[in-house]
Amino acid sequence: MACLADPASADLRFVAVGNPNTGKTTLVNALSGSCLRIGNWPGTTVERVETCFPVGDRHACLVDLPGAYSLAAGTAEERLTRDELLAARPDAVVDVVDASNLERNLYLTLELAELGYPLVVALNLLDEARARGLDLRLEVLEERLGVPVVATVAVREQGMEGLVAAALQARPATLRLDYPESIENAVARLEPLIQHPSRRWMALAALSGEPIALDEPASRLLETLKVELVSLGVDPFLGIVGTRYQAAREIAASVQATRPGVHRLTETLDRWFLHPWLGIPLFLVGMLLVFRFTFQFSDPWVGWLGQVQEVLGGWIAALPLPGLLASFLADGLVGGIGTVLAFTPVLFFLFLALSFLEASGFLARSAFLVDRLMKAMGLPGRAFIPMILGFGCNVPAISATRTMESFSDRLRVAMAVPFAACSARLAVFTLFTSVFFPQHAAVVVFSLYLLGLLVGMLTALALGRLTPPSQAGSAMELPPYRIPTWKVVWRQASARTWSFVEGVGGAILVSVAAVWVLLNLPPGDISQSFYARLSMGLAWLLGPLEIHDWRLAGALLPGFVAKEVVIGTLGVSYLQADPVAPMGLVEGLHEITSGLAGALWATLQAFPALLGLPGIHLPPPEAPEGLPAALSQSMTRSGALAYLVFVLLYTPCVGTLMALRLEFGRRWAALSAVYQLLVAYALAFLAARLPL
Amino acid sequence: MRCLTELAMNEEALVHSVGGPHLRARRIMSLGLSPGARVRMVRRAPLGDPLEFDVSGCLLMLRSEEAAGIVVEG
Ligand SMILES: Nc1nc2c(ncn2[C@@H]2O[C@H](COP(=O)(O)OP(=O)(O)O)[C@@H](O)[C@H]2O)c(=O)[nH]1
Repeated sequence: MACLADPASADLRFVAVGNPNTGKTTLVNALSGSCLRIGNWPGTTVERVETCFPVGDRHACLVDLPGAYSLAAGTAEERLTRDELLAARPDAVVDVVDASNLERNLYLTLELAELGYPLVVALNLLDEARARGLDLRLEVLEERLGVPVVATVAVREQGMEGLVAAALQARPATLRLDYPESIENAVARLEPLIQHPSRRWMALAALSGEPIALDEPASRLLETLKVELVSLGVDPFLGIVGTRYQAAREIAASVQATRPGVHRLTETLDRWFLHPWLGIPLFLVGMLLVFRFTFQFSDPWVGWLGQVQEVLGGWIAALPLPGLLASFLADGLVGGIGTVLAFTPVLFFLFLALSFLEASGFLARSAFLVDRLMKAMGLPGRAFIPMILGFGCNVPAISATRTMESFSDRLRVAMAVPFAACSARLAVFTLFTSVFFPQHAAVVVFSLYLLGLLVGMLTALALGRLTPPSQAGSAMELPPYRIPTWKVVWRQASARTWSFVEGVGGAILVSVAAVWVLLNLPPGDISQSFYARLSMGLAWLLGPLEIHDWRLAGALLPGFVAKEVVIGTLGVSYLQADPVAPMGLVEGLHEITSGLAGALWATLQAFPALLGLPGIHLPPPEAPEGLPAALSQSMTRSGALAYLVFVLLYTPCVGTLMALRLEFGRRWAALSAVYQLLVAYALAFLAARLPL
Repeated sequence: MRCLTELAMNEEALVHSVGGPHLRARRIMSLGLSPGARVRMVRRAPLGDPLEFDVSGCLLMLRSEEAAGIVVEG
């Protein structure tokens, strides 16, 4: 199927609206998954999904509006959905309804009907409703609402043609709710003053206390009407909302012969996963599996990408180029691209895990289990998963804060996440502990993890004191367990990974190139480079931390780009760089292909390894030969501890900073960087004074 | 009339009113816990809080201080 390149040239505009967890994402994918574009709503971090596809000889674009329980803007998602609906009249609104949950879902449907736009109902999850013993009379629903109702099973792509056909013919609903007389009178007086196709809905929303922008005469009348209603003893909010709930309940009852019971599978699984004392251990095992999954599967690919980078370096060395240019191409350019790509396997697999947890219903369960702990920090239970993901990689952890609703909660978690010791920092920890604390390596590394966790929690707690708690409370749905389709999860993870490469890749490339300039200019011995001079200044600053050697201080500069390169830079500055051995074309290709085969094989082997018991042991330190000896000469144990604390707490990487910027803007990203530096300096200063 | 937290495990009741701050009440109602809805207490979280309720086959979690603002009858 041909995808439409430019959504602006589409001649039909559809929007999909529905409660969260009704299978809306899956349905939009099923309609035309291959043409999906995933981005963000302008100025927000709410995901925007759009898909354009041909319908006969016309082109339709469908925008997936964020999940909403109602058009009252209680959450950022709901506000977006409402504003988008009010901004322009679509050719059809596709209301995705969970068939086994009509009572609640119909509330939104009734509001959509009130908007007066062409409407079609997709009665999704029909298979699940049937399995729950529900017998639904679609024709009754159609008749009551006065709009087409199409039965769909999005996971099996059933009902899609019917849905598109119905959307093409959609008409405004004929249903009209009757509110109590006093409210109807008020609406009748307010409506004529509103210039908008959806004026009835707007008049009702304004009366029920929603912040609706009205012009001067209308808002004056609104105040009068509210006073009048109150003097009649009518609460307009309860009157309006109550009427809709009652109608939704009544329509649901007329459509279904029986009341839906709890989802069987969900009941059984929850008995285990939410068990009074098995629940939490099972959850911890589950999280451990997520991490094992991520690293077992991503490690081979990170390794292979490193191999490709080496081969490219070798090929460049074989070219007849001036030394400096060859070095820039190999280390600056290929190195930069390599640094960006090295992030992607870990990111992809963590995002894959996250998408799965979200769509399967496990994410909501984890919030239920640990809510109590998070409450102690003034956070909702949903804050837990992002915080934990941070130990794998800070970047997806910051994106994962999107699963929380309130901005202040998201911000607090995102400010705490960078202190979680990600796997890249572990490499620095293991090297230094093996040199300076060989007897107590595990204890030192474990304490560092704890310190990071503690600083993060205190950060979230302190920020909570500064920002008002979210008003909406933390009530949420525990959706039934469902097996997500592989296609949707895969696509979501790749789109999220790609949006990282797009949004952050440039910044990483520039910083790697900048580090190359520092290290290599002016040409000659590294101890004469800009890098050395800058590092000497830095070493003076870090003197109070017992870090005196410029080469140690300097490695923190590239460490700002990514912690993965700290050890490499230390190697170069202590031991001089090994000249890259030139490599032949065939030899290089052979290395790349055999590496690829190795990575594929290792990925396959990771399946059985997932089930094994995780060993609790530190990975062996990896460092160029001779580096440990050189390090042990250049600092004391106190200095080494301070160094580790500093590496733990200061800016984790450019990627994390850019992720913060994407989610919260420049100012918060800059603030978080400054804050991390201050905290790192202060705690490293204390660490240097510990009696060892 | 009792508040929602006073339900015994598996006990059912009818929601009478939803109290608490406006925004929170609206949110709770939009999740399905509106006056007239049938609600059943399902379980407590392992750490004692929050609580889980079944509202017409749909499962909701509420912290006890939120559930305390909901009055039920029957
Ligand atoms: N059995 C069944 N599962 C579905 C159907 N549609 C979606 N799902 C599953 O429901 C879960 C939630 O779907 P998703 O599209 O993420 O919901 P959204 O939150 O509304 O976007 C996923 O695990 C889907 O695979 C359906 O028609 N039948």
